Amino acid sequence: MTTTLIQTDDLADIREQTGKRRGIVYALFGIILFMIMAADVMIGSVNISLKGVFSILANHDTASVNGFIVWKIRLPRAIAAALGGGYLAVAGLLLQVFFRNPIVGPFILGISSGATLMVSFVMLTSLTLGFTVLNPFMATLAAFVGAYGTMLIVMAIASRVKSAVTLLIVGLMMGYLCHAVTSVLVAFAEQEKIKGFVLWQLGSFSGFRWSEIQIMIIGGGLICMLIYALAKPLNAFLLGEEYASSMGVNIKLFRFLILFSSCALAGMITSVAGPVAFVGLAVPHMVRLAFGTSDNKILVPGCLIVGAVVTGLCDFIARMVFSPVELPISAITAFFGAPIVISLLLRRKVILS
Amino acid sequence: MKKIPVLSTRNLCVGYGKKQVVKGIDLQFFPGEFVSLLGPNGAGKTTLLRTLSRHLPILDGSITLNGSNLSKIKSSDLAKIMSVVLTQKVAPPLFSVYEFVAMGRYPHTSWTGNLNREDDRVVLGALNLVRAQDLMFRDISTLSDGERQKVLIARALAQEPDIILLDEPTMHLDLKHRMEVMSILHDLCREKGICVVASLHDIEIAAKVSDRVALIKDDAIIAFGPPEDILRDDTVSKLYDFSNARFNRLLGNIEIRTAADKAKVFVIGGMGSASVLYRLLSKKGYEIATGVLLKNDIDYFVAKALGIQCLVQDDLDVISMESVQEAAKILKQCDFVIDAGFETAGLNRANLELLTGAIVLKKKIFCMNGCGQRKMFYDQNISGIRFSKTESQLVASMAASMEEREIA
Repeated sequence: MTTTLIQTDDLADIREQTGKRRGIVYALFGIILFMIMAADVMIGSVNISLKGVFSILANHDTASVNGFIVWKIRLPRAIAAALGGGYLAVAGLLLQVFFRNPIVGPFILGISSGATLMVSFVMLTSLTLGFTVLNPFMATLAAFVGAYGTMLIVMAIASRVKSAVTLLIVGLMMGYLCHAVTSVLVAFAEQEKIKGFVLWQLGSFSGFRWSEIQIMIIGGGLICMLIYALAKPLNAFLLGEEYASSMGVNIKLFRFLILFSSCALAGMITSVAGPVAFVGLAVPHMVRLAFGTSDNKILVPGCLIVGAVVTGLCDFIARMVFSPVELPISAITAFFGAPIVISLLLRRKVILS
Repeated sequence: MKKIPVLSTRNLCVGYGKKQVVKGIDLQFFPGEFVSLLGPNGAGKTTLLRTLSRHLPILDGSITLNGSNLSKIKSSDLAKIMSVVLTQKVAPPLFSVYEFVAMGRYPHTSWTGNLNREDDRVVLGALNLVRAQDLMFRDISTLSDGERQKVLIARALAQEPDIILLDEPTMHLDLKHRMEVMSILHDLCREKGICVVASLHDIEIAAKVSDRVALIKDDAIIAFGPPEDILRDDTVSKLYDFSNARFNRLLGNIEIRTAADKAKVFVIGGMGSASVLYRLLSKKGYEIATGVLLKNDIDYFVAKALGIQCLVQDDLDVISMESVQEAAKILKQCDFVIDAGFETAGLNRANLELLTGAIVLKKKIFCMNGCGQRKMFYDQNISGIRFSKTESQLVASMAASMEEREIA
């Protein structure tokens, strides 16, 4: 028997120590993120030194060849990958907590399937009329409409269904439905169009414009702030909906906010980068294990930063291994990510719910 | 001065959607009171609890909590007055027991959920009260069912409620933890003045710890009051539709009756010597008769609960020869006779006459190896009496002799 000597002072001390340790983990991931983004900007078909990059950034040099590469190609891409990965990871975390299910990802409610369906309309049929040549803006617009259209349907259904499991199944069914229509379109499509469509489905962070990044930072930033403010009810939700409501969580409002934020984030990234697989499912697990906690106040910022690290690194690899041929990002995220998650889980022997 | 109830219901009707499960509920729960809800599975105990905790909407009637209408209380305020322990298994990953119990501080912390010293003090106090301080740094998923139940109660306690509702708090627990949980709940009422309302299956425990019990059966509360008043043999049998078991109010336990399909046995007992034998024989399916017992004998209460044919002498005096002769008639029809090793010093000395009668009738006698005095009693008479040290040995040797007889 341990004696009853543990006092409130000891608890405060313990909390301070864990706080420090977590601070160190954040800092480590921060440094890694910086290194990855730096490498992303420096290395490529043309290599630019760190000093060169800094002077280009400091002087806002867009005129020179290197300046053009940094400002117009590599920097937007690096930032987009980091933001995209972070947002997807947070969206995945939210839904994992909401459904109390560890194998749920940000696209479980059919967001990516809806986007894919609309994109397939644009890319595979002749509906686009004048835009027969692939216009990236059209794909973005179609994905946006598809993702947020699905989100509205899901939210409408969620307001009528009580059980979370029912909602989960509804989401899955929506996904299959969209998929069915998409496959019909694929069957009738011309060969050369299909390759472009398949590549879009695997996601890419190339060709980002600064305007898109601005929207991502502002829109996504606001949603992430909202999510951080929801960390406390999210934690209560770990005990299940009934305990959460008995502790004073307004379940209806909370459900709405969770579904809205996660779908909004996932939809945003899908619109601009396509359905990037795996990050949203795996990163929350990595973060949980890295920080050794289920406390969402730690996990939300953790997912942002680790999601950015993982996606940044994967995008870099996708771009570099078979350069100049660029691999789809989803191939890399899953190829490297899955073994990492498996080994982490096995080593820590964590039973997930 | 009359105390004010924490929670009371008025003509309450509970159920799911349009399906009414229990109707016309009028209950009051007072501070520091332990109330058990008893009833068979599906009677609506859980439905009632879930309506009281506002997890289910009220179908009809009203619920009043601390003087205000339950439906009108803000959920954050409600969480400070009422907390729950549910049956569903919760074991979120990577959660220490301390963090888990601290979740109960939810209604008291700011939007960040950060804990201050006061919160720590309350959480430590709750862990202490459920005797789980040594589990504090364990991961919640590594706890046993019993340990987890204590932690769940601590979490409910950390909300600092006036009333705790528990759904089947002793389900899946071993005997030790069942007792521990009940005694913890008992402490909550006595020491903290918290009102505890629990649905229970174990009527024996419920009768012993509850201040009041509510019996739920056939969509109504059939009785509500102190267990001493309302847990009677017939009400309990009615509550659970017992056909093969009986509750005994004096013993506070339930005896199980089994269909007798084996040989008929006459047990000569008294002064508590035969109670264990009765249960064992009944369990093994023997038809039992016993006597002569006095009305204040514990053997009598057990025998009655088990539905054993029983020869009782009403007046509490030395057992008379008339009674013995009455018993001898029944003994004559029995296949075996068991001498439970009763004391012969007191009022039931006459039962020795019954034994002598059995010997004369050349009945097979099985004897519990009680006092040496008894050996002398038999030595004077005949051999062929089987002695056994324990009840189970006795019944085993009786079964063996029955087989011998069948072969012969």
